[in-house]
Amino acid sequence: MRPRTVELGLLVLASLITVAAYGLTSLGRAASLPANIVPFLGIVVGLLFSAHVVVRRWASAADGLLLPLAALLNGLGYVVIARLNPDLADSQSAWTFIGLAAFASFLIFVPDVRPLERYRYTLALVGVILLLLPLIPGLGVNINGARIWLRVGPFSIQPGEFAKIVLSMFLAGYLVEKREVLTTATRRLGPLNIPDLKHFGPLTLAWGIALIVMVAEKDLGSSLLFFTLFIVMIYIATGRTAYVVLGLTLFSGGAYVAHEMFAHVRQRVDIWINPFEDPKGSGFQIVEAAFALADGGVTGTGLGLGTPGKIPFAATDMIFAAVGEELGLLGATAVLASFLLFVGAGFRVATQAKSSFEKLLASGLTALLGFQAFVIIGGVLRVMPLTGVTLPFVSYGGSSLISNYIALAVLVRISDRANTPDVFPSPSRAGEPDRAIA
Amino acid sequence: MIDRHMRHVLVVLLGCFLLLFIQLNRIQVVDAESLRQHPANTRTVQRDFSRPRGLISTADGVVVARSVPTSGPFELLREYPEGDLYSHVAGYLSFNIGADGVERSYNDELVGRTAALQLGGLAGILGTEESTGQVVLTLRHDLQVAARDALGDVRGSVVLLDPRSGDVLAMWSNPGFDPNRLSSHDGQSVNAAFTELVNADGNPLRGNAFRDIYFPGSTFKVVTGAAAIENGIVGLNSPVFEVQSEYTPPLTSRPIANFGGSSCGGPLIDLLRQSCNTGFALLGAELVGPDRLIRQAQSFGFNTVPPLDIPGAVASRFPTDYGTEQRPPSVEIPAGVFEDSPGLAQASIGQNDVSATPLQMALVAAAVANDGEIFAPRVVGEIKNSQGETVDTPNPRIWQQAISTATAGEMRTAMIAVVEEGSGVRAQVPGIEVGGKTGTAQLGTDPPQSHAWFIAFAGQPGLESELVVAVLVEATEEDPDQTGGRIAAPIAQSLIQQYFNG
Repeated sequence: MRPRTVELGLLVLASLITVAAYGLTSLGRAASLPANIVPFLGIVVGLLFSAHVVVRRWASAADGLLLPLAALLNGLGYVVIARLNPDLADSQSAWTFIGLAAFASFLIFVPDVRPLERYRYTLALVGVILLLLPLIPGLGVNINGARIWLRVGPFSIQPGEFAKIVLSMFLAGYLVEKREVLTTATRRLGPLNIPDLKHFGPLTLAWGIALIVMVAEKDLGSSLLFFTLFIVMIYIATGRTAYVVLGLTLFSGGAYVAHEMFAHVRQRVDIWINPFEDPKGSGFQIVEAAFALADGGVTGTGLGLGTPGKIPFAATDMIFAAVGEELGLLGATAVLASFLLFVGAGFRVATQAKSSFEKLLASGLTALLGFQAFVIIGGVLRVMPLTGVTLPFVSYGGSSLISNYIALAVLVRISDRANTPDVFPSPSRAGEPDRAIA
Repeated sequence: MIDRHMRHVLVVLLGCFLLLFIQLNRIQVVDAESLRQHPANTRTVQRDFSRPRGLISTADGVVVARSVPTSGPFELLREYPEGDLYSHVAGYLSFNIGADGVERSYNDELVGRTAALQLGGLAGILGTEESTGQVVLTLRHDLQVAARDALGDVRGSVVLLDPRSGDVLAMWSNPGFDPNRLSSHDGQSVNAAFTELVNADGNPLRGNAFRDIYFPGSTFKVVTGAAAIENGIVGLNSPVFEVQSEYTPPLTSRPIANFGGSSCGGPLIDLLRQSCNTGFALLGAELVGPDRLIRQAQSFGFNTVPPLDIPGAVASRFPTDYGTEQRPPSVEIPAGVFEDSPGLAQASIGQNDVSATPLQMALVAAAVANDGEIFAPRVVGEIKNSQGETVDTPNPRIWQQAISTATAGEMRTAMIAVVEEGSGVRAQVPGIEVGGKTGTAQLGTDPPQSHAWFIAFAGQPGLESELVVAVLVEATEEDPDQTGGRIAAPIAQSLIQQYFNG
């Protein structure tokens, strides 16, 4: 089947699931269908259909799975948020609209991502500035202990969410340039091939960025994600285990020092090890999440029939627990499966991509989304200490939703070019062949 | 190249998600039930808070808890007409705090969620009958009132149970609390009351009869004596222990004295009658030895949480390690000498690291009274549907076989002697056969204070015992000289009186 046909069919399915879940939630809570169910159906179908039309017109050969998966996660997240807090739901619908608009604009106005490769150092600068903006007095604000927000009029923006994408672009460009020198081993240390020391520069830079985010902005989750992103991309580009080992060593060292130096880090770890020590105090969030999931059991309490409002931060960090309570093991597994499918589709795009830059960018963005889902779900399920990052497409949050839709647009753009036969020289490097593809 | 590295990353991610899936199954399936039952989990209670909820009543029909219609968001208010009297047994149902006691452990029955009640409800499905259940306690109102009155203002606990079934007939700890303060719909006053009760002296919220442990003192001699007879070490009437005023265990120079510095001795029946410290310390440390005493204490239920049908019962404690053998068994010391033989000598008379709940000591008496068998203690004996028809009467079940029938018979004789002509004479009830054991557990404080204990069984002469009593009066500065025989035995006596004569 042609990818657009697949996409259209799956989008219809995603809208039906979303609207049905929305109706069921209302039935569960008030025993009646919501008054706005028909306009809601219209808006969901309208939005997704518009996105589909844009893809059909401007990226017609792109993968047909990515957009429907994002739409499903987004729709399910919206239903849960609407059930928890109608005010948040109103904003989330606005963010969804803006996110899809950003997705469409990117596809319409960026016919090819390869030109970005040339601006890699500018992008690095932009990324670092975005990251550091919240630290500027008067501009940044503390929310829930983390200094990662900018107050702009009535809105709060998390520039770090956009920094992730921009830095992925920088890294992809930088690694294409330096791949060979980074891969050339000059010495051996036991089983590890050690590249020349001066090439460890970017890794140290990454370590520095991660440290600033952790120490100055107190955002453990993003810090962990930045570092993971750097290691994953360097590994994909070079295949050198040495970078992974060194990266993990650096990270463990940093984590250990942070654990010793900062009470908030120590507290996170203590809660992770034994949340039931203080179930009404510091462990409250994790303990309530576990109780919610236990209430859900295999089949869930049913939409609208649980009490996910008892979980602190249920619409943001802990949204996976809210899903698990009302939809049960089955629903929660469906969310896990959706992320896995998305990751699989993303890596397939990367495999098909025609240039190294696009390969690295696509795999970096995909890995970022996959690991972000793992970090937050793992935090909720106590696989690792809880760090506040959003569950991509599902959690409440404008910056996160918009940046994820932009990342999605990048993937769709790369996929489209990969599946389009090159009949004329690529616009960015006319006359110059693409770099060798491994 | 790049593609192969990407596959590696994909495999790592797959592994990560597999981990999530496994953990998700652990939380939602494997551990789900224990998480639902976790004491900090208020979800079930809150969900059921505004649902119709059945009565809790005593065996003789007195209402202990009921739901009455009220205005406001919850529609129904849980009321406890008897105030603090059943606070530790029936517990409370609170929106903010959660639930305790029968309100917690029989929540499913009260809201009608059990299979038996649901099936019963099917018949009434055409009508408008509710499917809530009524929970009937094993407790008798007259005995519970008598227990409270007999203890009066002093701190302590009283447990009455039927040794033939494990049915708790009365269980009272002073101080108690008024559960109405916690079931109120005024969240702020509930939280204030809860904070006050948590910080109050004497732990009114806890239910000390089954949730706190105390030195059992000389009541523990029943266990030491039973261990000696069960293992064929001594008989009731021979051998005869030397009369002495002090006994010094091996490996120490600190002697153990008798109460009030008196001298005592004789065969086991006399040791128990006089509550002879020197004799029992010698018996435990040098004749019974650590292994057999540990085993005996554990088969009476020590070191295990008793299977009481309300939450939070705690295990009584008997040490399980007396160190390595220092000297092998000999003619002088048949049990051998161990590193902590001095501690063992203390433990044999219920001091040192031995501690027990009043409920556990009642179960010790129950074993003697009931041919060595201990029934699982319970506070609920019957579930009825909303029309008052019985839907379930669970069978009593045996928890421990503590001692053989023969040993139980011997210990029974000895405990009857305690009441007939020993330290427990104040527990005598005319026309009733009563056996018992006093306990005066010194706390080692300065000035010295003691817990006063009495455990007893009672029945018609020549017939099996129908009643077991445990009384604990906690140590107090106001009466530093209180003893089990003087303070606790009369309380037990009045309760036996109430049971048999009304």
